[in-house]
Amino acid sequence: MDASLPRSIPRSRFGTLLAAVVLAAAAAGCGTPQSTRITPQPGATTSALPPSTATPDPSPSPAFPVTLVDDEGTEVEITTEPERIVSLTPATTEILFALGVGDHIVGRVEDITLFPPEAGPIPEVAGFGTVNVEAIVGLEPDLVIAGGNFFTPPDGIERLRSVGLTVLVVYAPDVETVFADIELTGRAVGRADEALALADAIRAEFDAVATAASDLARPRVFYELDATGAIYGPADASFLAEMIALAGGDPITTGSPDAFEIPLERLIAADPEVILLGDAAYGVTADAVAARAGWNVMTAVRDGAIRPTEDVIITRPGPRLGEGLRSLALAIHPDLDLPAEGGG
Amino acid sequence: MTAASAGFGAARARTRRSLLREGARRHPRALFGAVAAALAALAVLAVGFGTVAIAPETTMAIVLHRVLGLETGATWSAASETIVWDLRIPRVLTAAMVGAALAVAGATFQGLLRNPLADPYVLGTASGAALGAAVALLIPVRIVVVEFGLVHAFAFVGALLAITVVYRLSRLSAWSGMTSLLLTGYAVGSLLAAGLAMAMYLSGATLRQIFAFLLGGFEAATWPRLAIALPLVVFGTAGILWRARVLNGLMLGEEAAAHLGVDVRRERAILLALGSLVTAAAVAVSGLIGFVGLVVPHVIRLVVGPSARAVLPLSIVVGACLLVLADLGARLLGDIPVGVVSALVGAPFFLFLLRRAQSGYEL
Repeated sequence: MDASLPRSIPRSRFGTLLAAVVLAAAAAGCGTPQSTRITPQPGATTSALPPSTATPDPSPSPAFPVTLVDDEGTEVEITTEPERIVSLTPATTEILFALGVGDHIVGRVEDITLFPPEAGPIPEVAGFGTVNVEAIVGLEPDLVIAGGNFFTPPDGIERLRSVGLTVLVVYAPDVETVFADIELTGRAVGRADEALALADAIRAEFDAVATAASDLARPRVFYELDATGAIYGPADASFLAEMIALAGGDPITTGSPDAFEIPLERLIAADPEVILLGDAAYGVTADAVAARAGWNVMTAVRDGAIRPTEDVIITRPGPRLGEGLRSLALAIHPDLDLPAEGGG
Repeated sequence: MTAASAGFGAARARTRRSLLREGARRHPRALFGAVAAALAALAVLAVGFGTVAIAPETTMAIVLHRVLGLETGATWSAASETIVWDLRIPRVLTAAMVGAALAVAGATFQGLLRNPLADPYVLGTASGAALGAAVALLIPVRIVVVEFGLVHAFAFVGALLAITVVYRLSRLSAWSGMTSLLLTGYAVGSLLAAGLAMAMYLSGATLRQIFAFLLGGFEAATWPRLAIALPLVVFGTAGILWRARVLNGLMLGEEAAAHLGVDVRRERAILLALGSLVTAAAVAVSGLIGFVGLVVPHVIRLVVGPSARAVLPLSIVVGACLLVLADLGARLLGDIPVGVVSALVGAPFFLFLLRRAQSGYEL
């Protein structure tokens, strides 16, 4: 029955892989998320403050009640400013803390690479692909922010709504939607201005990387998600492929809009010039890659261009995405001349 | 002196135990009553406990208020009422229903096929239901009809389609009968499992949903789903109970049954249909839960002997008990798969019974 699950991948690792798959799931793939585009209010923000210094002033009162359209196209009405929030995606937890409403979170999803550390004491009410409806109802939240594209089980979302809770579903298949989701989350929790500032700050980092990498050659990059059994890398037009392109690389993809498995033959034929190890956190090293049978014909292996990455900040659609893109660009172009962090 | 009296005491205890066993064999009704009372107690316990602590008197007051409209003067939060009435009670009732359904279907299939390893899933229903659920998950639009989603509907239809195909194909075989049915079920099941593997390979982000269905569980239990599945289970179970004597006849073998005046072909088809209906309804609401359907009927046969007239009703209550208990354990242990708990609780108990069994039985 469970024959098609790769058993050789340890469980926690498989969870991470799935998370990566979910987070980076193909834009062209399952479902058609209608992401909300919120028109920036003119003059609302001009100073692109780094998230850490954004001060959470209470927004002016007319922000509520508000009706928002979430990433699944559902109209969600939020009557008053939420004070008890349940965050069901790790990115949402990070966004809420960056917006200064971390202390309003009463329950959160499990996050094996916990960030920020302040989220630690908040009770876990969901895991990867699971959700404890009873625990969430017991917390009496006034807003639940869930993950779309099956990150939070759709049945669970339906259950939470059927017992009268307000559920906003976010799902970012591409970089633009990450900005939209930050702004959507900001409006939902009464921090619209801070959210615009945060999105602008990340945009500024993206621009800085794009400018710095614009004149450089674009090496063929293979980003390895996992290779304990089959080899997993970015699908065509996936979030991860988009990030690699933005960081000044030419992504080698699986050739499928939504499958993340790549045959070794295809990888050899594509001949990566740089191999990035998204699985470095699990102990995969450049030496181990070079020792794999058949890999030594690749340019990256012969040149020794195999580098570790910090996978979480590159693949998580949260406030650290700008930092993630910088680290990705530096992994692709080690001598890239980037201006100091914060776009300044 | 002391050693002698100890030996005597042990002998007396043994006699008492065998008397108890004799009692159970002769008075299955008393045993049924005892297990039913245990089920009621377990159900109360299961409604009382969960991730969120709710005081027993509050739980009681909520139930009295919702069922009888009684006002006890107690007050509670809306969240507590939702947890008790909309989450826990339908969940416990669904667990009981599914346990009963799978155990009774398992007893039926074991008797019908005269095979101790038969379970409700042996003739392709599991693979059919799983493939149906997977196909439903691959369809990008979400259609929900009275809360009975596409996944549940497809699982139900898939299970019934699979058994229909198996039955039809087995009748084309030159040697009809149980062996042909079992082997056809195995072949079709393998084919469907290949389809399931392909669906899982193509599934991308929905893989975990398919996986959850394969593990089974009661998180998705709601009143409307229970209300749709329960009549099917009750109808099927009543039909099987009605035919307990026929099942006893069939257990003697086709020829013997025919001599007893049983229309073997017709009765077998009817029992197969009823067992499959019950299984499909259970699987549609809970996903695939193993162990119960295979082991519960054996436990009961070890205690009361093989007569279907005793085994079937006892399977209903014992199966319900086992899954209510397993689901409570699963919830308290942080929502781990219920199949894991039922096997962890049930398998050692079954081994214990097997070891102590003084007389066996033949199927």
